[in-house]
Amino acid sequence: MIVVLAIDALELALVEAFQPVHLMQKFHGRTDISEFSLPRTMVLWSSFMTGANKEKVVLADGDKEMWNYRFDPEETLFSAFRDPVVIDLPGFSYDLAQHEEERRLLKAFFEAGDDGKKEEVRKAYNDHAFRHHREIKKKFQDAVAGDHDFVLGYFSIADVIGHLNFGNRMLMRMIYRDLDEIAASVKVPKIILSDHGMQAIGIFGDHSGYGFWSSGTADLGTPRITDFRRIIEGMQKG
Amino acid sequence: MERETLKFVIVGHVDHGKSTLIGRLLYDTGSLPDEKIEEIRKFCEALGKDIEFGYVMDHLEEERDQGITIDTAQIFFNSAKRDYVIIDAPGHVEFVKNMITGASLAEAAILIVDAEEGVREQTKRHAYILGMLGLSQVIAVINKMDLVGHRKERFDEVKRDLLKFLDGIHISPGQVIPISAKNGENVAKGSDSMGWYTGPTVLQALDLLRPKPGAADHPMRFVVQDVYNFSKRIVVGRVESGVVSAGDPLLILPSREKTTVKSIEEFLRTPASAEAGKAVGITTAEKVFVDRGNVLVPPGPPHPSVTNTIRANIFWMDRRPSGPGEVFRFRCATQEAACRIETIHAIRDSSSLETISRDGGEIRNREVADVTLKTEKDVVIEDFNLTEALGRFVLARQDTCAGGIITGFSA
Repeated sequence: MIVVLAIDALELALVEAFQPVHLMQKFHGRTDISEFSLPRTMVLWSSFMTGANKEKVVLADGDKEMWNYRFDPEETLFSAFRDPVVIDLPGFSYDLAQHEEERRLLKAFFEAGDDGKKEEVRKAYNDHAFRHHREIKKKFQDAVAGDHDFVLGYFSIADVIGHLNFGNRMLMRMIYRDLDEIAASVKVPKIILSDHGMQAIGIFGDHSGYGFWSSGTADLGTPRITDFRRIIEGMQKG
Repeated sequence: MERETLKFVIVGHVDHGKSTLIGRLLYDTGSLPDEKIEEIRKFCEALGKDIEFGYVMDHLEEERDQGITIDTAQIFFNSAKRDYVIIDAPGHVEFVKNMITGASLAEAAILIVDAEEGVREQTKRHAYILGMLGLSQVIAVINKMDLVGHRKERFDEVKRDLLKFLDGIHISPGQVIPISAKNGENVAKGSDSMGWYTGPTVLQALDLLRPKPGAADHPMRFVVQDVYNFSKRIVVGRVESGVVSAGDPLLILPSREKTTVKSIEEFLRTPASAEAGKAVGITTAEKVFVDRGNVLVPPGPPHPSVTNTIRANIFWMDRRPSGPGEVFRFRCATQEAACRIETIHAIRDSSSLETISRDGGEIRNREVADVTLKTEKDVVIEDFNLTEALGRFVLARQDTCAGGIITGFSA
């Protein structure tokens, strides 16, 4: 079995500050996403799974519509596997309603008039994200315990919580520890990959212009996110 | 009366529960504010789990990063008997660095092993380092007993493996305790699920440890940092052990010149004496040559050794290997001298403890070597257990590449 932990907005600087050893694995570094005009989640994961820059394709119908885009399995690296499980990945198996609600609450937070209302929305937003995280974690751990040749779990918690709470280092540290525990529970070869990192804008977080990778077996240097299709297919061939 | 303090370190495999044990010790001894516990409980609930005491470390590390906690690597709690300081080392390389450079000196250690996983390579490596550093007071804890059904048979099995290994490196733990740090079993309170265990809890075992004799009880050693020529000539340095008083006769090493302490100088005062740990100035009755790195001692024995040939155990901490011939900077207290490895007597893998034989006698990262060093000039050194500052050293290229404990010397 090959496992990919696809972690949205896992930030290299925080990984190196918090030292989660299972996320870091033996080798880790940053990915090069400079070929993209902006570090957009949907574009980056689409490019990851297809092994090609999909910015134009995904954005063809505009920013809002991009979330509805779904790639045919035959276009993706998953087609190389007999029985792949791909959980919640943007552009493939993404839970649209869940993530639309996140974006609605995020918008509501910035539109809220007073601090009391903002805190109320922040709590609802965080609760919503954590509930989803618990569900994804359970699905992922069940899949890893199963008899599949490929499992990918997409974890959005660092991104979703980070957007409103990046300045709360204690909270971010605990999220990274939880993700580290998830990584520790995977005992087979795994790639850990983020689409982009996150940088602080006051208490808030915004996407940074590079991603994160780690591997237990090979130093990948500074790969492009599109290189991972070839890397994972190479792992499969042994 | 001032309360006694004991410093200890917790070592073991990264996943065997060190953070959880620290968190549990702090929680069970009431060393954490209630509101912080509540905050951690809420975060844990959000992540879908019961309160996990490993997160206490996150809180402490966060306070450090934000500069709320002044101390960078020490965690405090107390029992009814004494105060404790846990020296926090993120990894064994940092731990060895801290111990050897004197940044934080532990008097005892807790070695933690996962009951399910048993003794792992990292456990062995850390235990080996404890032995190398002369830490003889060790408590072994077999953690996560809840994951093995609190079974005595599994505890006995892991304990047997551990003691067999520790015996080979001459470490004899005072206690081997079955615990569940997560559930607080046998940490500060007993365990109903492990009625078969009748020994002390971790906290009780800590209370049974003996603090190291204070440096003030050892012979006087004054390590010179600098010499200032104001209206009078002041030799500035640190009293590493013992007490120095005005009127004391002095022997200057390595020159072996003799003189007498005329006065002790502190800012705007001249105390009659200064004890171990104090950084002070000294003026001498005679005009003698003193320089940075010199050591001032009483004329009578026991004396430190003045030598250029040192036998030592060194722990290599650099990715770039080395061997005989390469020239390093040898740094011991304030002394600095060019040095090279003259002979490698043995190299061991710090994890497997197997002796490594290798053509060319190269020492690689994380290996321990028994070596003879040759310094270009005489240096002043002493038994580590007598004067720590003169018994440990580092070797440096641009940065520190090895730390060592002196095991012998020839005059």
